[in-house]
Amino acid sequence: MSEQHYESERVVAVTGVGGTVDLGTDGTETPAKAPGGPGGPGGPGPRGRPRSLWSDAWRDLRRNPVFIVSGLVICFLVLISLWPSAIASGSPLECDLAKAQEGSQAGHPFGFDGQGCDVYTRTVHGARTSVAVGVCATLGVAVLGSVLGALAGYFGGVWDAVLSRVTDVFFAIPVVLGGLVLLSVITSNTVWPVIGFIVLLGWPQIARIARGSVITVKQNDYVQAARALGASHTRLLLRHIAPNAVAPVIVVATIALGTYIALEATLSYLGVGLKPPSVSWGIDISAASPYIRNAPHALLWPSGALAITVLAFIMLGDAVRDALDPKLR
Amino acid sequence: MLLEVRDLHVEFRTRDGVAKAVNGVDYQVDAGETLAVLGESGSGKSVTAQAVMGILDMPPGRITGGEVLFRGRDLLTLKEDERRRVRGAEMAMIFQDALSSLNPVLSVGDQLGEMFVVHRGMSKKDARARAVELMDRVRIPAARERVKQYPHQFSGGMRQRIMIAMALALEPALIIADEPTTALDVTVQAQVMELLAELRREYRMGLILITHDLGVVADVADRIAVMYAGRIVESAPVHDLYKAPAHPYTRGLLDSVPRLDLKGRDLCAIKGLPPNLANVPPGCAFHPRCPMARDVCRTDVPPLYEVSETRGSACHFWRECLHG
Amino acid sequence: MGRYVVRRLLQMIPVFAGATLLIFLMVNVMGDPIAGLCGERRCDPATAARLRAEFGLDKPVWQQYLTYMGNVFTGDFGTAFNGQEVTELMSTAFPVTLRLTLIAILFEVVIGITLGVVTGLRRGRPVDTGVLLFTLVVISVPTFVTGLLLQLLLGVKWGWIRPSVSSEAPLDELLLPGLVLASVSLAYVTRLTRTSIAENRRSDYVRTAVAKGLPRRRVVTRHLLRNSLIPVVTFIGADVGFLMGGAIVTERIFNIHGVGYQLYQGILRQNTQTVVGFVTVLVLVFLVANLVVDLLYAVLDPRIRYV
Repeated sequence: MSEQHYESERVVAVTGVGGTVDLGTDGTETPAKAPGGPGGPGGPGPRGRPRSLWSDAWRDLRRNPVFIVSGLVICFLVLISLWPSAIASGSPLECDLAKAQEGSQAGHPFGFDGQGCDVYTRTVHGARTSVAVGVCATLGVAVLGSVLGALAGYFGGVWDAVLSRVTDVFFAIPVVLGGLVLLSVITSNTVWPVIGFIVLLGWPQIARIARGSVITVKQNDYVQAARALGASHTRLLLRHIAPNAVAPVIVVATIALGTYIALEATLSYLGVGLKPPSVSWGIDISAASPYIRNAPHALLWPSGALAITVLAFIMLGDAVRDALDPKLR
Repeated sequence: MLLEVRDLHVEFRTRDGVAKAVNGVDYQVDAGETLAVLGESGSGKSVTAQAVMGILDMPPGRITGGEVLFRGRDLLTLKEDERRRVRGAEMAMIFQDALSSLNPVLSVGDQLGEMFVVHRGMSKKDARARAVELMDRVRIPAARERVKQYPHQFSGGMRQRIMIAMALALEPALIIADEPTTALDVTVQAQVMELLAELRREYRMGLILITHDLGVVADVADRIAVMYAGRIVESAPVHDLYKAPAHPYTRGLLDSVPRLDLKGRDLCAIKGLPPNLANVPPGCAFHPRCPMARDVCRTDVPPLYEVSETRGSACHFWRECLHG
Repeated sequence: MGRYVVRRLLQMIPVFAGATLLIFLMVNVMGDPIAGLCGERRCDPATAARLRAEFGLDKPVWQQYLTYMGNVFTGDFGTAFNGQEVTELMSTAFPVTLRLTLIAILFEVVIGITLGVVTGLRRGRPVDTGVLLFTLVVISVPTFVTGLLLQLLLGVKWGWIRPSVSSEAPLDELLLPGLVLASVSLAYVTRLTRTSIAENRRSDYVRTAVAKGLPRRRVVTRHLLRNSLIPVVTFIGADVGFLMGGAIVTERIFNIHGVGYQLYQGILRQNTQTVVGFVTVLVLVFLVANLVVDLLYAVLDPRIRYV
């Protein structure tokens, strides 16, 4: 979208400030913040050191059940993607056509899919692909996007104009279609092409966020002051701007992680992401869809695992945003 | 008596506990009288006004006790629909920030005319004509052309005039103005205040002027009620109060105003901060900041002592204050 | 306003050129455009060379791109793998996808905005929490999973609808696919509306409207909704472009012969003309949708002035 949206949002934000209830926050919170004042009902604020955005956010997060639940789910996912055999001893590629489409039975709680593979084992092993793609793609996108976005936001001018146009170009390309075109010709059967593709098409989103964030922070007095004192560009960017501009990037990246996992599954479902014999929930869902009538369990388990994984990351992102965005409190 | 607020209590339930914003406020306004309600932010002056208007956000707000008698009827016991008919028609409110208080996407003509359409059942065309008249009344130049414009196309002073026009539309008996000039430039402040006072006289309306600006009060108010931590701490005719305050908080307020005739002397600011409303100090809420505080102030809540027939002060030592 | 439109149209040119060039490069550099022309077999070198010369593939890529774009602007999108004109494919495929998209938008407007308004006005109540959780789940479940599950439940288990859509794609058969296509956006519309309503509900001008003694209904519809829906309307407008580009998954699940289907065929057979042609049109749709949204914004919000 264009600058106009941005402008109008700012207008609304500024004019909406007029306090409705003059009791408001200052009336109740001022004493709690006053040095040496009573701890107040605000809770156990760390005494003696100033409360920063991060320590405030962390205090909020620890008390947020959404964060705790999604955090636990994510920890569990990471553990089983590192050591899948800890809870699923069989091999996901060991299939017995004779057992194809059979339901749940002793030792095989999720039943068998259309090829007679154990759905439980495959579902557990599928976590690795999703987590790997999600984490690596997000790291790639975050690094590339925030560096380019921050530079454009900081230096402005031509850099900024070029970046804006380039991000416009990338936004105009439908993601799934781009994936189909680019990945359909690649024969490598690892997660790297998928990750590379996501980074290629995902970075403009983060770049825009980082750019906006840096532009906002750049105008702050303390940055102007540091500049007046002769700080170098590098020092300004790394020490003064980055720590204060990084919050929105983290929020968007966390939510994006969930959507990247969904994107990998979608591409694999369409047959251009990972291909058999790789193990991926998308592949399993795609393979199970023809047998949907007789063996719906082969579809439901990997779908459920995929949904829970994506949900966990999106909820984590939501919780982090609530904690980091003081406007929403 | 036009309006009589009796023992009003309002609290807010927040994440950090229950904040008692208004703790037993009494005040009266007669027809044609101007009452100034003075206090810092957080003193409960706006909350009281919102409770009187019936526009308090509930929840988190809750009226836990008291009466609001308007022309003899207790507004708090009315059904919402009856209450709604009173709002705007019999009592109206002017807000501080006209830019955010006017709807940004409707023309000022629509917003003014709406009063006549809703309360008087007028056609849109007649309502538009009345809107132009109103804008003329509050001396907005070229009203006929500007009636189609949107709030952001007006200057701050003009916008506040539109707010005033909206409040006057149905010639209510009472107007509550919540810091009507705080958001304006000093030169414009005087014009707007003058206009408001003039129109009030003309229509013989009661006016409650909520402000923290002592300068504004002296010119237009008949009586003053000073609020602190959700209570009236002093109530007096304006000149009596200026001459000799009967409460140390009022004295502090007066002393903190820079005055030309006392140039060169130190300004006496009130030390400390207003109390946390979720945790109001026991006894007199002002005692932690009061230069005259003694032991009794820490334990006993002072009632509103009768200083004279027309004055009251909620200080155990009002005599000392008045004469010292 | 006129000058703004002209400026925006000019700005669209580099974006359009960049996006189509990017796709053109992807298809050309990554794949072998003539691989599909000899059917399933590999082409013998002599035929391959002849074909390359015939299609101008022996020239540098930028020249190919310029030739292609030149043709596009005269309405010649080239030939598809089965010898059909690409424009002919488009004329059958785009109406289907457009219908599907419109149904999806309808769902977003009707269900999304209603849920958003209801929850925004009852923030923190059980309805709100329930709907909020539901939208999170909908956003989290990838579209293809939602589609397959609904197909399984409604089509196979309960037999309410036909599991796949016939080739004419009449409106009633597109209802479920439309809902599936809309699902994620619908959840976003709900959340966006909810946030917007909840934010504006505490705004000063709504308080003014209440203080004017307006009936609650009027406060909500005339003052609250009118303001709160501005970002929602613009979101939905921009979504047209996204939905048409993303319809490929839904179309595959329900076997709908729309844009996605034709593109998928084109990609499988590495037919440059089909792929680039369709994507070019999709990019155009996306850009125009965004322009319309920006203009719409100015109509809805008098504070926005374009210069």
